[in-house]
Amino acid sequence: MTLAAGIGYALLALGPSLSLFVSVISKKPFLILTVLSSTLLWLSSLIVLSGVWRGFLPLKSTSRWPYGLLIFTSIAFQEGLRVLFWKVYKRLEDLLDDFADRVSKPRLYQTDKMEIALAGGLGHGVAHAVFFCLSLLTPAFGPATFFVDRCSQLPFFLVSAIIALAFVTIHTFSMVIAFNGYAEGNKVDQVFVPVVHLVAGMVGVASSVYLSFISLQA
Amino acid sequence: MESVPDLQKSMYKFIDGYPCVRLLNLSGVIGCSNPGREMVVAPIVRYKNAIALSQPSAVLVSSDEIQSFFTRIWHDSSFAGNIAGVIVESENEFQNKSKGFSPAGKFPLAEFAPYQNTSYEWNPIGSGIMWNAYDFPVFLLSESSTLTLQEAAIKNEKSKKAYIADVAEFDLVMQTTKAGTHDSETCLKEETCLPLGGYSVWSSLPPINVSSSDQSKPIILTMASMDSASFFRDKSLGADSPLSGLISLLAAIDALSHVDGLDDLTKQLVFIFFTGESWGYLGSRRFLYELDLQSEAVRGLNNSLIEMAIEIGSVGKGFNQGIKRFYTHTAEVSSATNETLKALKHAQDSLKSEHIIVSPANASNPGIPPSSLMSFLRKNSLTSGLVLEDFDSVFSNKFYHSHLDNISNINSSAIVAAASLVARTLYILASDNKSASGSALTGISVNVSLVEELMGCLLDCDPGLSCELVKEYISPNSTCPNHYAGVILDEPSFEPPPGYVDDMSRFLWNFLADRTSIPSENASSSCSQGCSNKGAVCVREETDGKGICVISTTRYVPAYSTRLKFESGIWTVLPPNSSDPMGMLDPVWTESNWNAIGLRVYTVQDAAYDRIVLVAGISVTVLAYLAIVTTRAVLTKALKRD
Repeated sequence: MTLAAGIGYALLALGPSLSLFVSVISKKPFLILTVLSSTLLWLSSLIVLSGVWRGFLPLKSTSRWPYGLLIFTSIAFQEGLRVLFWKVYKRLEDLLDDFADRVSKPRLYQTDKMEIALAGGLGHGVAHAVFFCLSLLTPAFGPATFFVDRCSQLPFFLVSAIIALAFVTIHTFSMVIAFNGYAEGNKVDQVFVPVVHLVAGMVGVASSVYLSFISLQA
Repeated sequence: MESVPDLQKSMYKFIDGYPCVRLLNLSGVIGCSNPGREMVVAPIVRYKNAIALSQPSAVLVSSDEIQSFFTRIWHDSSFAGNIAGVIVESENEFQNKSKGFSPAGKFPLAEFAPYQNTSYEWNPIGSGIMWNAYDFPVFLLSESSTLTLQEAAIKNEKSKKAYIADVAEFDLVMQTTKAGTHDSETCLKEETCLPLGGYSVWSSLPPINVSSSDQSKPIILTMASMDSASFFRDKSLGADSPLSGLISLLAAIDALSHVDGLDDLTKQLVFIFFTGESWGYLGSRRFLYELDLQSEAVRGLNNSLIEMAIEIGSVGKGFNQGIKRFYTHTAEVSSATNETLKALKHAQDSLKSEHIIVSPANASNPGIPPSSLMSFLRKNSLTSGLVLEDFDSVFSNKFYHSHLDNISNINSSAIVAAASLVARTLYILASDNKSASGSALTGISVNVSLVEELMGCLLDCDPGLSCELVKEYISPNSTCPNHYAGVILDEPSFEPPPGYVDDMSRFLWNFLADRTSIPSENASSSCSQGCSNKGAVCVREETDGKGICVISTTRYVPAYSTRLKFESGIWTVLPPNSSDPMGMLDPVWTESNWNAIGLRVYTVQDAAYDRIVLVAGISVTVLAYLAIVTTRAVLTKALKRD
């Protein structure tokens, strides 16, 4: 598929994140730090999950429910981590506000808080895209292409890039909605995020296209 | 799939196949090669007689269409221009085997014949396609890979999407193509090729006492060949031509080795197995040359003492409805030849229950068939010689020098019959009628299980060279046997390092040394420090026991063109010499060097599709940027209003 296609797939998956980074995140160093730490947190969660699931893998079952269980537990764990992330953020917010008071500078605006949430979500999304799409992209730079039986209309790499793009979007905006929900005590928003995440994950399992990714990371 | 390397493996399927490589002679090239330095990539298309190719393609040809395909290439240049590569399927079990296929010529090695009529057709089925030059790669598939390629071709035919195709990637880049050396002389000078050859093996029964002064026993030389050729260098089994003769001679030697009173024979029995015969009688010519020089390789043999030269040619097809039929092809009539024919008759009569019939070949034949005896006759036209074959006027082997001349092409009963015949004939000739009595003669019997074991080891992949018989003597380099002569590595010598001698020669040397041996004085002494006794050799050196010293006259003779000389690390072609008439006609075959040879199959998508993906990625990025900037502007304005 050559260099052109490889770069194309990479841009499809991570182009919008790159645009977001360049236009919003890179202006404020604090946001860059937030992106990096949330990426680290997300990857650590994956490591913990794979450590826990190592004993059960590779899943030899031909039916899909063991994969469903794996996705469910992973998503549940990550949503739990999101709450933890929120709590840490809240502490940090209080610290920053106190500091601002002491040097007589303005407190964090609403937009600032949303930008921090955005950066957190972007960190999650970029980690997901890199881990689940970019890591598979090396063969895409060679002359051959690949089609999976389950989805034989599109090349495998195109499918993985599109799914990665979708997940970047979900992660980025989930964090904003979730933080907003926790701050205002809005139950609908608080529940909306995990539900969307879970639905996306389960649809992936149901379509079996995602299965190849999962076993690839095992 | 468990990992990215697994993904890579399922994307690119490596196909195991047998290539056709580039061979060179003094005037040009034959065989196949990639046209340049690059891999050849082309979509896979199945060959049907009527099709025309619209673009350079990798053509998948089925086994029974090979002949018609290559004939079409020769005549239809527009068709040939669109051939990027050729892939030949392995033979189908249900294929009609009666048609026959032979890529050799109609009179193989006709220029070396000791008679004028070189237009006689010994091999009428021969198409000569292996002697042409092709500037595209050709591969023969194994059975498992045939299915993969057929599926890929069908997928290409059925696919409605024009932008994807299953392609084959050929890596058959030959160094002579890269270096631009297109004949033997230049490629040997540039060291981009190596000459064909190997090591012939000779042995005597009983061992010749070199130190003794009495060397005047007349010699009966019995010979066979160990090499064959085919369009595909790694699939040259040559089961009937000539390995059936080799196996029957080995079985005959085994039978004779159990006879009592070998020292009382009035004539010396010497056996020799040549290699390189398919490429201009390299083994037999070099042997005769060494005999003239009285070199170290042939110490103990005196050219003038050779009374009779008997060759065992192809004997594997001499079985028809219970009767084993063989034909004797002779050159000039002489007393020695007549004696041999009489001995053959005597042996035939002693084997009455076996229904063996030996007849002289048709008198209207122009002379002897293509055989190593031709070298002897070109050197000395008065040589008494005889060739034993399973055919009369034309080859009975319908797959001469083809990849289909395999174990299913021959019959073990014919080989056993030929072995019994040869063993008893040699005994009769050597014992000079005095002790050729009934009991001693009928005591000579061929071990049938040995013949079958040799066939399984030398002509089949299962058990192949990992069989017990072969592993008893050597540690083979590969399991599947192959009898292409190969190239001669480094300097030819009379005691070559085992790494430079191929499996077949090493096995023959050890087998013959073992069968013709008399135990050394200190029995079963290990030969880690060499053998102290002069005239002793080390047998079974490669196996675990580290070898035993036995007294045997078994030697290697290098086999390579008499027109070549190895001097200070490089091969040079000598000018033609009128004292070597066969050398003057020798094309001096060499084989090109190469880096790697392989065949891969994968799916590609159109370049346009790749560009669309790139454009999509860039546009998504740019659109996202614009959206973000717009949103920020809107938000800032909205907040400012607050």
